[in-house]
Amino acid sequence: MGKGVEMNLTLNVQKNFPGFSLAADVSLTGERVGVFGPSGSGKTTLVGMMAGFLKPDVGEILIDGEVLFSSTKKINVRPEHRRIAMVFQQHSLFPHLNVRKNLLYGYNRCQAVYRSIPLDTLVAALQLEDLLDRDITTLSGGQQQRVSLGRAIMANPRLLLMDEPLSALDDKLRFQIIPYLKRVSSEFGIPYLFISHSLVEMRLMTETVLAFEKGIIVEQTSSEQLARNRMGSSQVGYINLLNLGPALDDGSMYSYPWGSAHLLLSSPSDRDHSIAELSSKDIMLFKQHPEAISARNLLECTVRSLFKSGRKIGVELDCAGNRLISEVVQDAVSELGIVPGSRVYAAIKASAFRILPG
Amino acid sequence: MILSESDLQAIWLTMRLAGTVTAILLLLGTPVAWWLARSRSWLKGPIGAVVALPLVLPPSVLGFYLLLAMGPNGPIGHLTGMLGLGNLPFTFWGLVLASVFYSFPFMVQPLQNAFEAIGERPLEVAATLGASRFDAFFTVVLPLSRRGFMNASILTFAHTVGEFGVVLMIGGNIPGVTRVASVQIYDHVEALEYSSAHSMAAVMLLFSFLVLLVLYARRSEYGKRG
Repeated sequence: MGKGVEMNLTLNVQKNFPGFSLAADVSLTGERVGVFGPSGSGKTTLVGMMAGFLKPDVGEILIDGEVLFSSTKKINVRPEHRRIAMVFQQHSLFPHLNVRKNLLYGYNRCQAVYRSIPLDTLVAALQLEDLLDRDITTLSGGQQQRVSLGRAIMANPRLLLMDEPLSALDDKLRFQIIPYLKRVSSEFGIPYLFISHSLVEMRLMTETVLAFEKGIIVEQTSSEQLARNRMGSSQVGYINLLNLGPALDDGSMYSYPWGSAHLLLSSPSDRDHSIAELSSKDIMLFKQHPEAISARNLLECTVRSLFKSGRKIGVELDCAGNRLISEVVQDAVSELGIVPGSRVYAAIKASAFRILPG
Repeated sequence: MILSESDLQAIWLTMRLAGTVTAILLLLGTPVAWWLARSRSWLKGPIGAVVALPLVLPPSVLGFYLLLAMGPNGPIGHLTGMLGLGNLPFTFWGLVLASVFYSFPFMVQPLQNAFEAIGERPLEVAATLGASRFDAFFTVVLPLSRRGFMNASILTFAHTVGEFGVVLMIGGNIPGVTRVASVQIYDHVEALEYSSAHSMAAVMLLFSFLVLLVLYARRSEYGKRG
């Protein structure tokens, strides 16, 4: 459907607690916005103020021009009147209601004019058909999060806050849920604010990101740019996400089509389409074709651009039409004579890839 | 086991008293328990202590002060006099009022525990889905704390049934009006009617055991589910 409704968010708030202060001053327009930061950086406080659970000390919050909070105008719209729904980390479904009644809780309470999402459409989109009459306590963690998401969508909010919705799930469920979460904006036209401390989740879920540290916004940028900026300081570097075709078992390895190239991985996948993670730290660059190396993947690439991130230099590569980012130190750039347009060889071990569960 | 007509009358009166007190305390105790569970006011401590006072106070002390308060010169007595309700001591409604005070913590504390166990999250979720506080209380809090309501009601009812000191101080011993089961047993013993006292005491013992059996059975069932 691709409805793509954007939110206009103006946030200028301050909140002080003993030992912690939050100050945010930002104005942005976006459909899929991220709030990124380590725990204790103020993400949850920000979400609480937007939802109306926490009252800022001073400032104002406007969404699509409507004032939800203003200390000067003495306005503080109650949470139930803000039309901001939430998907929480966990434990948010009503255990005394079955799946259908949970889904309809917000729907039954929103004004008739906003009841635009039919239950059948939502149930089909989130694949909840077989769960409707089930007791909440019988659902798995992933199913519960889908129901929680569906319940928020059914209320047809003007904005959906997703507060670390994946952090309570294991790796497999996390990546199974992401496509459902993304449908919030693409199929139902609801813009969302996605809160997480994971750079990979930010890349997969958002376009624009507000990065928090110690209660202040330190960056407002694209999720891609955020990942590049954090490459040098992150323990895992920049995570390349590769779209791979169906695997072929070649005996000792598994061969995956990747654009016009093929990659050898040590892990299998039975899906036609897989996403693999590859850290920028796991890509070694050579100026010339190496004689003999143990890495099973050697790609001839063109350097697109270079960027600095902390003490590291990111090298954006074009490898057979695919994009990869490697990281090297400044000395390596000089010794290899890496400049935009130069040719290099990228060596990657088969075991360096991680197929995302899904 | 043979119960006399006056025994049956005392049992009926006791049940009527306990039922009335439980119903009144459900209405009065719920908002107090809700406030105690959610408030961050400094008054929470003092009010919590006042609510719990009947747990530690000798019934005769409570009965004495209530008797004074309900008397013609007491504040409650003044009020009932002004309203044309007359004096409450030695009447059924006097017993009800005294029992409401005496059993207050038995209603409030289980409810407060149940409300605290629910936490903030379900209410926040309900609010983001458009439910007002009132709506959320009836559609989320009440269903989630129904076990607490059940426990509080059973404890309040049972505790009222077992009252003696306060009842004797406020109600005296008027057949059909204020003579409840515990007073009836006392009367039988005073009159050396041990057989009748046995019968009544057995009824009370059985009742108490059944109440506790229901409570513990429910807790055990909850434990298995939880």
